[in-house]
Amino acid sequence: MPPPAVAAADASPATHTDSTSTSTSTSTSTSSQSSSNALDAVNARPQPPPETKESLWLRRSVILSFWAVVVLLGLPVWWRTTAIYRADLPLQGMTDWADGKSCKPVFPLRIAVEAPLSPQEAHHLLRTTQHALDDLNEFSAHHLRLMLADPPLPANASQQVVSDGIGSTRSDEDIALSIRLIPVETGTTPRSTLQPYSPTLDVYYMPNQIPSASSTGSPLATYIAQELHKIFAEEQALLASLLFSTSGVHTAKIKSLSAETAAELKRQSTRALKYAPTYHLTFSLFTPTFAPSGWDIESALQQYLTPLLESFSAISNFTVDTQVQLYATFSPSIHQPEYDEDLRSWSLRKEDLSGFINAAEWPLSPSIGKGPTVNFVLFVPDQNQSPLLVKENGGNSWLIPQWGGVFILNPPRDSDTPRILGKEALTPAFHTFSNQLLSLLGLPQTPASLPLRLSTLKRVRAASLIFSASSTLGALARLYQALPSIPVPDTVAKSVDLTTSHLQQACDHLREGRFQGALEHARTAEAAAEKAFFERSMVGQVYFPDEHKVAVYMPLLGPVAVPLVMAALKELKSIISGLRK
Amino acid sequence: MKFSTVLLPLLSVCASAEHTSNWAVLVSTSRFWFNYRHLANVLSLYRTVKRLGIPDSQIILMLPDDMACNPRNAFPGTVYNNADRALDLYGDNIEVDYRGYEVTVENFIRLMTDRVSEDMPRSKRLMTDERSNILVYMTGHGGNEFLKFQDAEEISAFDLADAFEQMWEKKRYHEMLFMIDTCQANTMYSKFYSPNILATGSSEIDQSSYSHHADSDVGVAVIDRYTYYNLEFLETQVRDPTSKLTMGELFDSYDEEKIHSHPGIRYDLFAGGEAAGRSRLVMDFFGNVQNVEVEGGVQKNETEWQEELAAIDRMILETRRRHNESLITRPQSQHVVEEATSADSKQALRKEGAVRVDGESGWAKQMVGAAALLGCAGIWAAGSWLESL
Repeated sequence: MPPPAVAAADASPATHTDSTSTSTSTSTSTSSQSSSNALDAVNARPQPPPETKESLWLRRSVILSFWAVVVLLGLPVWWRTTAIYRADLPLQGMTDWADGKSCKPVFPLRIAVEAPLSPQEAHHLLRTTQHALDDLNEFSAHHLRLMLADPPLPANASQQVVSDGIGSTRSDEDIALSIRLIPVETGTTPRSTLQPYSPTLDVYYMPNQIPSASSTGSPLATYIAQELHKIFAEEQALLASLLFSTSGVHTAKIKSLSAETAAELKRQSTRALKYAPTYHLTFSLFTPTFAPSGWDIESALQQYLTPLLESFSAISNFTVDTQVQLYATFSPSIHQPEYDEDLRSWSLRKEDLSGFINAAEWPLSPSIGKGPTVNFVLFVPDQNQSPLLVKENGGNSWLIPQWGGVFILNPPRDSDTPRILGKEALTPAFHTFSNQLLSLLGLPQTPASLPLRLSTLKRVRAASLIFSASSTLGALARLYQALPSIPVPDTVAKSVDLTTSHLQQACDHLREGRFQGALEHARTAEAAAEKAFFERSMVGQVYFPDEHKVAVYMPLLGPVAVPLVMAALKELKSIISGLRK
Repeated sequence: MKFSTVLLPLLSVCASAEHTSNWAVLVSTSRFWFNYRHLANVLSLYRTVKRLGIPDSQIILMLPDDMACNPRNAFPGTVYNNADRALDLYGDNIEVDYRGYEVTVENFIRLMTDRVSEDMPRSKRLMTDERSNILVYMTGHGGNEFLKFQDAEEISAFDLADAFEQMWEKKRYHEMLFMIDTCQANTMYSKFYSPNILATGSSEIDQSSYSHHADSDVGVAVIDRYTYYNLEFLETQVRDPTSKLTMGELFDSYDEEKIHSHPGIRYDLFAGGEAAGRSRLVMDFFGNVQNVEVEGGVQKNETEWQEELAAIDRMILETRRRHNESLITRPQSQHVVEEATSADSKQALRKEGAVRVDGESGWAKQMVGAAALLGCAGIWAAGSWLESL
């Protein structure tokens, strides 16, 4: 084949103005006719013989087979090996959970009323009280439903119906509070007392205060409704703010949530630790000297703490460890205690308290266990720096939000620091610690009855777990869409399914008023959601922007692709021109 | 109108929540003796945040090399950040969480997103929540939108931005200060898109970051300029945890004449923009200051409390009795627990890989293997039979 460059030069002679005379181009104006004929004969390129059909087909089939290999083998292999496996996730469902569309938590509380009345009277009283209650209630998701305790017991036998408020006695019948109506003859009526260790409200009334069948309202009914409303006011506020701040869909219908209440709730939520199935409590004794070198901690824990922890067992578990650290010094960067002449004591400034814990030197927060650590520090100051108090209010204990509590135990003024702290010496410290623990765990302040507060906490925790698991699902769904480069294995899809099914069950339990079951399902849902989100293989570690991809593939595929594409184009061209002829 | 008056106090509750813990992630990304200064940078900052109150359990320190024990170190067991050698950064109480070849891009991203295996100790995890402020400090050799790790790999600005976005989605931080000292450092935070990040870097695109000075006895540069002047501010102005200096004052202390490059600050992601970012206290990121709640003297009668405890005790005994009675009627909760544990054991059995696509069933593989073996044996048998013919 002649080199195509020459042929091209031949074809466009007019542009080559300074072409040499020896050139045998068709511009023959300067050369003689006879010689040009001879030269033509010599230099004329013999045209190649027309391609045979066989060679044409051979060439085309070669090109085609190359393309076949590339398309049928190369592309699938490349696609298979570079594709990122992403399991299908129910994105819409997950987003619905996060937006609060799948579940509107409601908290129907059953309240049993025991009244030594005839059934008609009791029903009527119930109905009027329920009316008054519904009028008072501003927060529709949380409502109290009165029901008659069955069978109506005489007042003296009702001592046995002390419901514990921790575990449900019968799973289908979760009674939040029982009201005992007790007729009396003396004193101001109606009046009521809330039993501190059982969810029971005793209401004293005079028999003539029972509403007659014809009346639509009565002072007794109104009184009971108001009392109930008062008892559950804090719970309502807690749940309302939780619902509002997390889902946002419930436009709060709570007018009573004043600025102070909101601030107090905020303070509480700042203080309280996040929910965990297990908390780790660390009790540490720090002293700057050699004494005391021991404390009677085991019996103190046994007596002062165990009952409290046991009462929480339906909500969380606890592990406890203790330590004694001698020669523990203050951090050099805080202001050292100063002697205060007025108080005749050594004083710490309030703003230095957050630096009181010498985090660099004191061995706190051991990296053991699964749950978060709650620290309680008992500090016994040096004899010549005692008593050590907080300057602003003369207190000797403080709480560090979401971390724990500190108590300064000042030894008696005129005696030496005891070598071993007895149980009696530890009593004030443990009193403070247990109060601090209650507020760190988020136990509400009211009402006065502990079982009621515990069951309130149970509802609040169940709701917050549902919200947090839902929001994790939402976050996962958003990330799934936003980061197409991270792989999503099937286990994530399984965990998501587990989460949604448990969330649904938790929600159903809430609706039916079975709060213990709701808490357990919510806990499982939360664990599964965390597992799905923190799946270990979902690490988008090598993110390539598109220009990087081009830069990687060009040097690799460019040299291969150019001849393939050019040959294919050429053949196509010839086929098309052949068809045109 | 009525509606909004109800909402307003609640909205302000959500917006102005305070932080309750501080965490610091301090990363040096370069190895080898001549990068002494990068490790000194990180150790200096480690010392500072520890002095200001962040406990070791909340500091993640990543050191890719051990300068203190490097054979070239003329002062074995020590690391200095100044030619006067007044302060041994290595000291006697440092806790390195990730060291040597553990410092990789993968481990860093796993740390930030907490996608770690179950056996990872707590000290190597970033256990933050939506009330944690995080300081992220990185130093090493970088370029336009990347930072080199260990001379072997690099993290791109996109990866970093995606990791932070995942943290934000999972509510793993309240506010974050991102600080980076490397060449073309400001490009590293240019791709961030998650809220509440305050970012600052040592140099603009196409600018180098320079070292401050060398110690001729150690033989190499001991600290970088940008870090040096940050530290100068932190050490001389922020004397104790009660300091009320703001981030704005720290940023104003940057002097381009001294740093020899143009430090950048990015406010636009921060809620409240520049004003809010500048008004944050230095201690909000470099220290560990919480609002403690001081309790007064004795609030409650102690005998009353003891009676309470006794009553609780009785209550629990009662509960237990009832619980034992009603055990049979409560299969529900046990069922839930059982399901959770079975899921757990399944998880534990699963093998991990960086990119695990899908698990094949073991049986299929074994069948293929057995078939291949049988085939080979058949071919061999057929061959020997043919040969014998």
